Amino acid sequence: MNPVPHTARQHWIGVLARARRSELQPHEAALRDVEYQLIRAPEIGMTLVRGRMGGNGAPFNLGEMSVTRCVVRLADGRTGYSYLAGRDKVHAELAALADAHLQGGQQGHWLEQIITPLAEAQAQRQARKAADTAASKVEFFTLVRGEN
Amino acid sequence: MHAQLLQPAFSDPVLDAQRGFRAALKALAGPGVVQTLHAAPSLEGLAPATYALCLALLDVDTPLWLAPSFDTPGIRANLAFHCGCPLTARRKDARFALLGAADLLDLSGFELGNERYPDQSCTLLVQLERLDGGATLHWRGPGIEHSNPVSLPLAEGFWRERDRRNVFPLGLDLLLSAGHDLIGLPRSTRIAQERA
Repeated sequence: MNPVPHTARQHWIGVLARARRSELQPHEAALRDVEYQLIRAPEIGMTLVRGRMGGNGAPFNLGEMSVTRCVVRLADGRTGYSYLAGRDKVHAELAALADAHLQGGQQGHWLEQIITPLAEAQAQRQARKAADTAASKVEFFTLVRGEN
Repeated sequence: MHAQLLQPAFSDPVLDAQRGFRAALKALAGPGVVQTLHAAPSLEGLAPATYALCLALLDVDTPLWLAPSFDTPGIRANLAFHCGCPLTARRKDARFALLGAADLLDLSGFELGNERYPDQSCTLLVQLERLDGGATLHWRGPGIEHSNPVSLPLAEGFWRERDRRNVFPLGLDLLLSAGHDLIGLPRSTRIAQERA
């Protein structure tokens, strides 16, 4: 099966999907500098998002969102997949290419060049957002009125 | 493993699928008239017309039965990837079946539909070497004004198998393909042997 551990690939596919297109574009030339064909050209579709109340209740349909997906194959047979939220076909193609490169022999190089910086930037954004949210957090408490 | 077998499918997924669907409709509406799909991709073991029909007609709701000659890793992987159709080993469960000429001598087990829902029958996609060169038969019935001479290279046994399962409105519809061409043979078409 896949030579790459499952969880590591899940991690980088997630990072690539959450990245902004502007963050991937500096790497565009390097990513495209390889012979490849589109097995599934970038295409936009809808997917149903389901949720569970409180994380463990009965599943309910939250709503639909647009998703773009793409599959590429490099000349040596490696295939790269991408699924990402939104309608950005260029982003989908670059992410699929990155996934294909990351499964090859130069994995360390690509991890260092693309995934690590992107993951850090995302962690920072996440932390900033969490901090902003935390600053506006309101603690509710109830004053107990005594009987006497 | 499977991923290495994947090939690109339709170059324009929406319009090419519509062309394939249109060709299938016309083939069944005018039995015996050759329809041609020009810009169809091919796959090892699947002719362009056959593959185009698969890509246009199969999806997650249509279990497919593969004849042993088509049950290759390449065909399995590409149909699973591009169509997402489940593959079934039981003929009874199949909504579509992919067969070669040799498989036509035994059509047992395929769903023929029922009196209430004759449309729930299994549609057979048959890949042949060519669509002519056999004995000329005259096809009559809905969609044919008088009669339509067709010379498919099919064995006598197939027509008997078909007749045995053709209890209108139940029966099997066939789409026969070779290269880029296809011919429809719906259950409503009556076959008469030419008298020399």
